[in-house]
Amino acid sequence: MSLGRKTSIFGFVTFSILILALAWHTPVLAQSIAGKEIRIGALFPITGHGANAAKREAIGVQAAIDVINAQGGVGGVPLKMYLEDTASNPQEGVNALRKLAADQKVLAIVGPHYSSVAESTFPMGNRLKIVQIAVASSKPGLSEANRPYAFRNTITEDKVADAVVREFKKRYNIKKVAIITDIKDAVARSVGMQVLPPAFKAHGIEILTGDNPVTFQTNDTQFTAQITKLKSLKPDGIGMGALGPDALNIITEARRQGMNQPFMSTAPVHEGDLPQKGGKAVEGTFSGSCWSPQLDTPESKRFVEAYGKTQKKMFTSEFTETPDYYPVFAYDAVFMIAEAIKKAGVTNKPDDLTQDREKIMKYFTNLRDFKGVASKGFNEAGDGIKDVLVDEIKGGRWVLIKSK
Amino acid sequence: MFLQQLINGLMLGSTYSLVAIGYTLVMGLLNLLNIAHGDVFMFGAFLGLSLAMLNMPLYLSLIVGMIGAGVISVLIERLCFRPLREAHFLSPLVSTVAFGILLENVATQIWGSEPSRYPQTTDVAQFQVGPVLISSIQIIILATSVVLMVALDQFIKRTRTGRSMRATSENPQTASLLGVDVNWVTTGTFFVSGALAGAAGVLTALVYLQIVPFIGIRQGLIGMVAMVIGGLGNLRGAMLGGIIIGVIEVMNDAYFTASYRDMIIFGLFFLFLVIRPEGLFGAEEKRRS
Repeated sequence: MSLGRKTSIFGFVTFSILILALAWHTPVLAQSIAGKEIRIGALFPITGHGANAAKREAIGVQAAIDVINAQGGVGGVPLKMYLEDTASNPQEGVNALRKLAADQKVLAIVGPHYSSVAESTFPMGNRLKIVQIAVASSKPGLSEANRPYAFRNTITEDKVADAVVREFKKRYNIKKVAIITDIKDAVARSVGMQVLPPAFKAHGIEILTGDNPVTFQTNDTQFTAQITKLKSLKPDGIGMGALGPDALNIITEARRQGMNQPFMSTAPVHEGDLPQKGGKAVEGTFSGSCWSPQLDTPESKRFVEAYGKTQKKMFTSEFTETPDYYPVFAYDAVFMIAEAIKKAGVTNKPDDLTQDREKIMKYFTNLRDFKGVASKGFNEAGDGIKDVLVDEIKGGRWVLIKSK
Repeated sequence: MFLQQLINGLMLGSTYSLVAIGYTLVMGLLNLLNIAHGDVFMFGAFLGLSLAMLNMPLYLSLIVGMIGAGVISVLIERLCFRPLREAHFLSPLVSTVAFGILLENVATQIWGSEPSRYPQTTDVAQFQVGPVLISSIQIIILATSVVLMVALDQFIKRTRTGRSMRATSENPQTASLLGVDVNWVTTGTFFVSGALAGAAGVLTALVYLQIVPFIGIRQGLIGMVAMVIGGLGNLRGAMLGGIIIGVIEVMNDAYFTASYRDMIIFGLFFLFLVIRPEGLFGAEEKRRS
């Protein structure tokens, strides 16, 4: 009897505390986030060039949203992705951006993918006053030229190049190099023309091609002319300003013509499974990036698991099965937006849309200590703060090089 | 190095020629452009790829690639040209643009937008002839292209079907009055045109063992330029036009920069249209008619 009474008193007290706690919390929650959903825009080339990579990025966004929603969303309100297709085309990209900003009224946008599209959508984002976080674009100076609303959760290629050249030189004892570069794709071109030359020079390496690198165009089908020329220069190694698919063709042709020098490039060569498709020809090729599936941190493992779960629900295909670093950056970008919403006092009320978007922008401007899978925030230029991991192709996959 | 680059140019040019011939056949017959032709080339390459993946020998992938591309080409005739015979003369042109985009997207759905790779089934032998390095694949490409071109040339010149094709292209009404089945000849021409593009597709993919669904666009444009340089509707002209462009392209990349490449090729295209619209071989054709 007395036991029963005790229990009921205990129960009553617990109940009252709970009620009090709720009463104390609920108004704050209701005040902070309104609406049935928090809208996150995604701006990716779901069709056209880069479609496979873009689908992985969209899965990265959705995976982050699934994780956040499983924990009750942000302030009790679930996130929802609004996906628009840029078709890899600057014009389409601007249209899609307008649609996300004006019709779907998203709070912030993850995307676009390519630097060439970002060159058009970033200025438009400033005019519309909405944050874009690009997750693949890495052409130097692009976010800096479009302050304050343009952000890129990537690091520019010059930082990657410096780290890669250091390891490349050490491994192969490189004294003179030749450079071959794309002259069409924005980022590959800038790697070959602006990023690699100073990186080689900084490490005291002679550039045999001087100011006139050997050139090609994105998606060329034949590289015979270029390789014949490279071969005649007799370099110790070759620096490439190339996307993955072109790099594969370049190296394959070089081996065919009997060149056995090592190749190196920066992050964009990771696109399109170079190690798996290139086989023996591409072994020993150097590159660098900011995330690798081999990265052994709890955050990284959680990402891989979340990605796998979401991939079974959307864009299911063999091309989206394995995540690369782009979806990681997209995944981190969503968590950054969620953190901004929580900490910057975003209300999510339709009338506050402009102020909410501005609050997110201001939060990102000073974000330096974010703890993501492979993201730490943004620097003054609006580009991501990240650690560089140098890797090489070994046994048919990218393997991290331990540097001290 | 120059000699090696010349050989490189010949290899590249011979695949351009095969595509240019396809344009020329249709142009000669209907006086219309088939814009989707470049994408037929792409589809042929992917069909060949799929078979190579199943460990089929090269000649079989080539044959199936050709037949598949031929069938698609016939489909284009049935869907984009035949229903629009009475329509405005630009309608078939526009409908083939649409069909080309459709083909690209179908290919993206099936094979993905990232480059697909041919498996390395046979060991590539290399032959060092003086300063020049030639691989067995390059020899296969050049030989196949030449054999196909010579065979087509003789087929059109000597066979009854070839004669019907020529008659139809001269004047469809008269040909039909003389007992030529114009519909059948048109279908046949489209098939041959597609099959050659398919062969070029398989051969191109062979060199680099890798293809994307968008390779057809530029290949198609180049084929068109080759046709104009060689002379509209002139088969031998198209063959030579393709080779010329291949050599120019390689020489440009070797001695200048790739950014001038399209400027030079399409500048040449423009120049020919303005100064010599009948192309290199056009004059001879005119005299004959």
